[in-house]
Amino acid sequence: MATIKVNGKTVTADESMTVLAVARREGIDIPTLCFHEGLGPYGACRLCVVEAESPQLRRSLVTSCTLAVSEGLSVETETPLVAASRRIIFELLLGRTPDSSRLREMAKRYGVETSRFRAAESDDCVRCGLCVRACRDKIGVAAISFAGRGQKRRVTAEFGKLSEACVGCGACANVCPTGAVRLEDKGGERTIFLKNNLIGRFPLVRCGNCGTPYATKQFLDHVASRNSEQPRTKQGGLCPECERAHYAEAIVAEFSAS
Amino acid sequence: MGRRGAQDGNITVKVCMGTGGIATGGEKVLAAFQEGFARRPVSGTVEKRCGAHRVGCRGFCAKDVLVDVIINGVTTTYQFVKPEMADRIIDEHIIGGAPIDSWKAGPEYASFHGGQNKIVLANCGNIDPEDINSYIAAGGYRAAERVLTALMPDEVIKEIKSSGLRGRGGAGFATAMKWEICRRSPGERKYVICNGDEGDPGAFMDRAIIEGDPHAVIEGMIIGAYAIGSAEGFVYIRAEYPLAVERLRHAIKQARERGWLGRNIAASGMDFDIQVKLGAGAFVCGEETALIASLEDQIGEPRPKPPFPVNKGLWGMPTNINNVETWATVPKIMTNGARWFASMGTEKSKGTKIFSLVGKINNTGLVEVPMGIPLRKIIYDIGGGIPKNKKYKAVQTGGPSGGCIPWEHIDVPVDYENLTALGSIMGSGGMVVMDEDTCMVDVAKFFVSFCLDESCGQCTPCREGTRALVGLLDDITAGRGTEQHLDTLQELCQVVKEASLCGLGKTVPNPVLSTLRYFRHEYDAHIRDKKCPAGVCRALIRFSIDPAKCTGCTACALACPQKAISGEKKKPHAIDQGLCIKCGICFDTCKFGSIQKA
Repeated sequence: MATIKVNGKTVTADESMTVLAVARREGIDIPTLCFHEGLGPYGACRLCVVEAESPQLRRSLVTSCTLAVSEGLSVETETPLVAASRRIIFELLLGRTPDSSRLREMAKRYGVETSRFRAAESDDCVRCGLCVRACRDKIGVAAISFAGRGQKRRVTAEFGKLSEACVGCGACANVCPTGAVRLEDKGGERTIFLKNNLIGRFPLVRCGNCGTPYATKQFLDHVASRNSEQPRTKQGGLCPECERAHYAEAIVAEFSAS
Repeated sequence: MGRRGAQDGNITVKVCMGTGGIATGGEKVLAAFQEGFARRPVSGTVEKRCGAHRVGCRGFCAKDVLVDVIINGVTTTYQFVKPEMADRIIDEHIIGGAPIDSWKAGPEYASFHGGQNKIVLANCGNIDPEDINSYIAAGGYRAAERVLTALMPDEVIKEIKSSGLRGRGGAGFATAMKWEICRRSPGERKYVICNGDEGDPGAFMDRAIIEGDPHAVIEGMIIGAYAIGSAEGFVYIRAEYPLAVERLRHAIKQARERGWLGRNIAASGMDFDIQVKLGAGAFVCGEETALIASLEDQIGEPRPKPPFPVNKGLWGMPTNINNVETWATVPKIMTNGARWFASMGTEKSKGTKIFSLVGKINNTGLVEVPMGIPLRKIIYDIGGGIPKNKKYKAVQTGGPSGGCIPWEHIDVPVDYENLTALGSIMGSGGMVVMDEDTCMVDVAKFFVSFCLDESCGQCTPCREGTRALVGLLDDITAGRGTEQHLDTLQELCQVVKEASLCGLGKTVPNPVLSTLRYFRHEYDAHIRDKKCPAGVCRALIRFSIDPAKCTGCTACALACPQKAISGEKKKPHAIDQGLCIKCGICFDTCKFGSIQKA
């Protein structure tokens, strides 16, 4: 445990925590875009910067999502510099992705409604890397990644083609904060788009019980290959709803039997 | 080589064989001397003169190939040597004893070197970089031997600490402190890295050191590895430096053969080896965390700090990174002592620093001078001043991450603190000299555009902010600037500087902030008067012909690529402003000064 100061208030926290986690625990609001609790620290969007100072660190702006708690650390989350940074970063992001309603709403909460920095080319992607990291670090597939440097940086499947590695799980679309990654289930088929580029197209497997299309075969195989066999899972594949019902029945049956 | 002659052993001919020397035919000149000696009753040693010296005198490399003829310790330097000149030099000078005055290097050769204090560059140009014996004969590896056999690691760190050595690659962090933190940081393995990813436009000191004295870097790394407790080292070097890479690899091979790398170095029980890794051309990989990612075969992108590499670096292990010049300085300190090194320089910046002097300067080249030397001395005494007697406007120090120093600070003693106080940085030692014909808004745009191309694109302030900065500067240089532009520029600069992820982004705004500080009037002229005072920004200049001076010679009309100039022979011509692309060819062509630029 370490004792740190957050906006002048002394609090204690474990060294395994980040400043962002401590601030949120203390009810302090800090905006984030590239942060996700299920993924490792990244520190790229820079929206969560705070002014920090410690015996090892001269006073500077540091991303709270990457900064670990350490003894003697002092952070300020609402200084003029922090506010200026948030405002400019929101403006810069809006300049690149003016059409993302989710980003616009978020920026508005922090008082930013217009941008002075309109980019020549716009898209909905803020390069937060959540989709890339979810696919690589959690799903273990790495079907998409960043390519290109600087202004040319973009999320893409290999060589910009339909991904062979993609299992169609949809985690990328799920974590995307702007809607730049889109997933569509229609007519028994799942398509995944990165902006306007199709990266995956899969037929959906139908539920063995109710017949609803619910997941791709590649995804079910991928899950099976990563998990040991579950004793109560019905072979043959059920959609999450039916699986839950089946699971409940199995438990009831087990208890009634004993 | 040659038959035995009376003067055998007393004659040495050193031919420049660096990047510059090879480019101007050094290899053929060397062969001509070798053949010349073979055909005559004299013999001499024809040595390759190391490339660093040649690069070091690049201003004179314009006069390459430079050849030293050393007879009984007396050196005569020839310039512009061609292979066919070798015979006459051998006959008249070496055999006849009469140097050929008209071929000798001029007085500026002496003045260029006179003001310098070569310590790190001392071997460059004097030893054969491809021969370990040459390095050893010059005192090489004696420091490493003493350190490994007679000193404890803490004593080495103490010595470096009292020398006051600070990193030569950028921020000027105390070298001993970095070593000490890395030494005390827990980790099952530790790494030392040499950062040779020199990428600042116009900077070539690291290249010169590796091309001219590669063993100094190896020896420095051996000493550092011993002090820190590391068995593995890496040199990360640009693939664009083929000669440096080749000489470094060759030197490492020779060092292994002689037992200076590998197991049980100098029978001290220490194991240490070095691998060479080539960078793939990304400027950002000079940033230490991006360099580490690249070494790990990851995308070369920086990582947030903390954790710092000394605590958690390569493969999560404590890692010490120093740049080429820092490593090459270490053996000199261990040989001559901390007190000797600390006797040079200023209170907080000790020793010497190599600068690459480029741009609008007569003596382009590498100069090694004591810290604290007045800038004026570098520019005017060593550098020989500005070509064509033009006026000095500023010098950009520290590359794209640095700032400019205007005339009112020409007497500033050059050290870390003073440059920082002036809003610039020492950086790796680049000095780009600019004269009165340079537009400072355009300069700021150039450096920021460089960073726009080199930003990795990971973090928002650097990726989007640099783009926005270029956009604002574009507007100003195109005559679309308003007062609002300047406010926005200042606001944006602050955030990019403070909130970016790595050192690249954090320093992108420096050229803007520094030109705003010293050349605000040039920004104002672009914005309020829609004029570019230096006559550089095309949108804001206009060429016209003064009918009183025009003789109707038609030279400009013939030269104009747009056929925008018309008129009858021997009568005043006129420029069609609608067709003119403002290339300035007419301005340069006219012999009568009748073309006006406004």
